[in-house]
Amino acid sequence: MTSLTERYLAAALRRIGERERPDVERELRSSIEDAVDDRVAGGEPADTAEIAVLESLGDPARLASGITGRPLYLIGPNLFAQYQRLLVTLLTILVPVVGVGLAALELSRDGGVGDALAAGILGALGVGVQTAFWITLTFAVLERVDIAKLDDADLTAALGPWTVKQLPELPATGRAGIGETVGEILTLMLTLGGLILLRGASLPHGGSGDTVSLLAPQLTDSWLPPALAVVLVSLIGLHIVIFLVGRWTFALAAAHAVMQALFSVPVIVLALGGSIINPAFAAEIGWPPLADGNGVVMLSIAAGVLLVTAWEIIDGFRRARRAAATTSATVEAPAGVRNG
Amino acid sequence: MINEELLGAHRQELRRGTVVLACLLALRTAGYGYGLLKTLESVGIPSDGNTIYPLLRRLEERGLLTSEWNTDDTRPRKFYRTNQAGVELAGRLMADMTDLAAALNVLNGGETR
Repeated sequence: MTSLTERYLAAALRRIGERERPDVERELRSSIEDAVDDRVAGGEPADTAEIAVLESLGDPARLASGITGRPLYLIGPNLFAQYQRLLVTLLTILVPVVGVGLAALELSRDGGVGDALAAGILGALGVGVQTAFWITLTFAVLERVDIAKLDDADLTAALGPWTVKQLPELPATGRAGIGETVGEILTLMLTLGGLILLRGASLPHGGSGDTVSLLAPQLTDSWLPPALAVVLVSLIGLHIVIFLVGRWTFALAAAHAVMQALFSVPVIVLALGGSIINPAFAAEIGWPPLADGNGVVMLSIAAGVLLVTAWEIIDGFRRARRAAATTSATVEAPAGVRNG
Repeated sequence: MINEELLGAHRQELRRGTVVLACLLALRTAGYGYGLLKTLESVGIPSDGNTIYPLLRRLEERGLLTSEWNTDDTRPRKFYRTNQAGVELAGRLMADMTDLAAALNVLNGGETR
């Protein structure tokens, strides 16, 4: 046989364990020779017959994968759902927390806004890549070590059969799930982090060593930003209470509405009054309309805050109504009905 | 007008499960890889080497086939034979196959009537 067959065999055998290799090699070689002889006996030239036989056998990596039973995919259908769930959960928690945390840390060390942003973004990126890598690696190893030896019955025995109790809750029912509670709290923490960031933000002014702050001066010294921060922290507390209660009630929805309004109304008033951004800062970066209460930025902020707040308040009451309607309806597997 | 590609995909799907049964039945008389391919092709169950060779090893691993190297011929060949467990399994699968064909016939008849 020519070098083509040798190369094919080498490519396939490379992926096969030491113990099996001699046997597989001998069998594959004789099978290829049988097939080539058959074609040559049919009148085909030896070289084209060999090419045809090898190509009909296909990619040696796939052939070897079939022989060893080792998958050609990283994470298979048995594990993919769990992999995806874990990855999404961890990324949505770790990335923002680490990003905001590092940025806040940099600010507290008197770093500039730029440094803080860079620290936050790089840190978030780093932890995201690390998390994705290690989880993927773990599942890829699991796919090969553990699952390769288990067939479906063993897998079911190990993980337990699927039952209706594992069904996730319908979205947007009155129940307060851990996922949405964490989401709400993270959003609030991000807003809080943003407030802290903005408060410390400034630009050097001229060559004099003076700085010009991002926030309007009357705001920097005002009691209002700390008060807004207190409202945000209270909102975080409220979401924890709602989670502990397990569902939205009309009283909780009303408290939620008041707190949302306590945060949003001052922000909207400030935005429309042009009292958020320091006009000197806007002039410094060469875009005076930034600070203007009738400028596009402030109008967008006012409109955005208004919309989000309205949605949040309505959603709270909607959930309270749904929860009131469904408190008695609990899902239990009927006795005597079993899977399998 | 039947889409040939679609037909091919469904045919492959339909045959996938029957290749095991075909191998177990054919190898009640001992045979080697390429010979088995030719046998299957000649009775109208064409398959590929990259399906059959791994399959033979898997069936042996599962204790349905026994194998033996025969070095008397012009070249050494690994002969497989369906063992007792394999014969029993093939019998059960064959009965299932007959039942399936009968069931499909019922459905087919009910539809055209």
